[in-house]
Amino acid sequence: MRERDGHPLLTQYLTSAQDVFALRREAQAAGEALGMERQDQVRLATALSELGRDRLGCAGLVVTFTMEPGDPAVLSVAFEWTDGPAPSPESLRLAARLVPHVAHRPGPPHRLLVRQPVPAGGPAAEARYERVREALRPTADTTLADDLRAQTRDLIATLEETRAQGEELRRLNEELEETNRGVMALYAELSQELEETNSGVVALHSELEDKSRQLREAGEAKTRFWTNVSHELRTPANAVVGLSQLLLAPDSPVLHTEQHEQVRLIAASGHTLLALVSDLLDVAKAEAGQLEPHLGPVDLRSVIGQLRGTFNGVGLADGVRLLTPEPATLPVIVTDEELLTRILRNLLSNAVKFTEKGEIRLDVDTMTDGPQHWLTFTVTDTGIGIHEQDVTRVFEEFYQVPGPRHRGRQGTGIGLPYARALAELLGGGLTLTSAPGAGTRVEVQLPGRPAAALVRPPDDTPAPERSPEPAPPAPGPDAVPSVPTPRRPTGDR
Amino acid sequence: MSERVPVLRIGDVLLVSIQVDLDDQTVLNLQEDLAQQIVDQGARGVVIDITAVEIVDSFVGRMLATIAAISRMLDAETVVVGMRPAVAITLVELGLSLGGVRTALNLEKGLALLRRSGRSERT
Repeated sequence: MRERDGHPLLTQYLTSAQDVFALRREAQAAGEALGMERQDQVRLATALSELGRDRLGCAGLVVTFTMEPGDPAVLSVAFEWTDGPAPSPESLRLAARLVPHVAHRPGPPHRLLVRQPVPAGGPAAEARYERVREALRPTADTTLADDLRAQTRDLIATLEETRAQGEELRRLNEELEETNRGVMALYAELSQELEETNSGVVALHSELEDKSRQLREAGEAKTRFWTNVSHELRTPANAVVGLSQLLLAPDSPVLHTEQHEQVRLIAASGHTLLALVSDLLDVAKAEAGQLEPHLGPVDLRSVIGQLRGTFNGVGLADGVRLLTPEPATLPVIVTDEELLTRILRNLLSNAVKFTEKGEIRLDVDTMTDGPQHWLTFTVTDTGIGIHEQDVTRVFEEFYQVPGPRHRGRQGTGIGLPYARALAELLGGGLTLTSAPGAGTRVEVQLPGRPAAALVRPPDDTPAPERSPEPAPPAPGPDAVPSVPTPRRPTGDR
Repeated sequence: MSERVPVLRIGDVLLVSIQVDLDDQTVLNLQEDLAQQIVDQGARGVVIDITAVEIVDSFVGRMLATIAAISRMLDAETVVVGMRPAVAITLVELGLSLGGVRTALNLEKGLALLRRSGRSERT
């Protein structure tokens, strides 16, 4: 049975024990507003408490307070639910003891109605209705549970948010870790490559070192070999020269003409052989660093005068002029006279050999580079010149530039390397520039402090250019009389 | 979120003052706490003060009876004090007599009742 023309006052869900407590308080408040006796208020509240506890848990449980007008007016409270067990007879019995009407109507929707008559008198119906509504205003006492629920909801929302943030953080961390792993992998790859390259470089380096050690050892062995061999060869060569000269001596038994010519050839070949051996020994000594330069004041006038005398006497082809600097311009310097003479003699001898016409020129320059003084000797000829591809090879021992014009010219092929070795021994260097047909130009740079403080030899010393006698035959490629060699030395193999 | 009802000790008597509406979990907690305290403290009596309780339905009535029965098992006597007239009337109308539960009008009388019965038992 539905409330007839009732004024609905309050409808609320019943889902927890807290809701039942709220229901009790509302019933008490409504009863008080309606002027019910205190005992009746307690009775109604207790009855609703019994029924509420019994019905708790039913699906869709709703409680509605309604004011039914009439005489007497009635406050009705309806429990309605969609599904659940029937009300227990015990709770119905207990409620029936406290309130006048309790009725159960099976559903759905199931309905349990409690009706409590309101005492007559007091304010008019409308006014009472308003007072009840005011008393049941949901803000009153039910707010505690609502607050709690709201707080719970907030708490759950906050927890959810925190969880989502944690999730996001975890995801970011994972991404970061992924990136880190990538970077680490890249790093490892790079360092491995670097390591491989490094080990390759190290291997290459040690290989290079090994090779250069082998080269050095080979060079030392070669020099040792030369020194020994040259030394051993000199004695028999000396014997050949000496014995053949004995045979040619005027007081020796007379040889007939052919024999005389043969012995003369033997003597010439012996000389050549001795010269070669001496050259080899000198080069070997220079390379082994066994030659010690003996520095002292050197008067270039005398050095160049002697050289001039030597070459004017022998070897110059017809129409070839040898030009040397004006003696008065030549300084006195500090260097090793012996070595300087050998260098210049070698260079001039080469020039003389390969020049058939024109001139051979020796120039001397002094140069100052800061505290260092340099002397430059330049030998220029107008000879046949050297091909570009041979320019570096002429510094190899025993190398002789091939070609018809070089064939048959007397020489060993160690003049230039020897000169260069000596120049380096003196702390200087030697450079060669040449072109076929245009002649050759060799520059020797030597450190040479002018011996200004030293006393110049007196001027009455015989002028070098006026002393035509050749220097005593020092070991040098062309210091020996020019004789045809039967065979070229084959030491370059 | 169930609340716990505090249990106070006065001599060898435990005092429980119920200030809030009791739901199932709170009642179970109270029974448990009280039994444990009786054993721990060797209490001889329990006073349950329901001055603040306006509504006592059958659930709360049964709870009081149960507490009294448990206490008796543990050799402690239970006195319910401060019951309001309306509550008393309602309980009677509901047919709940709280059998086995002794009552006193207020806390002072309840404690005196326990002292008396304790003395009489010992002599």
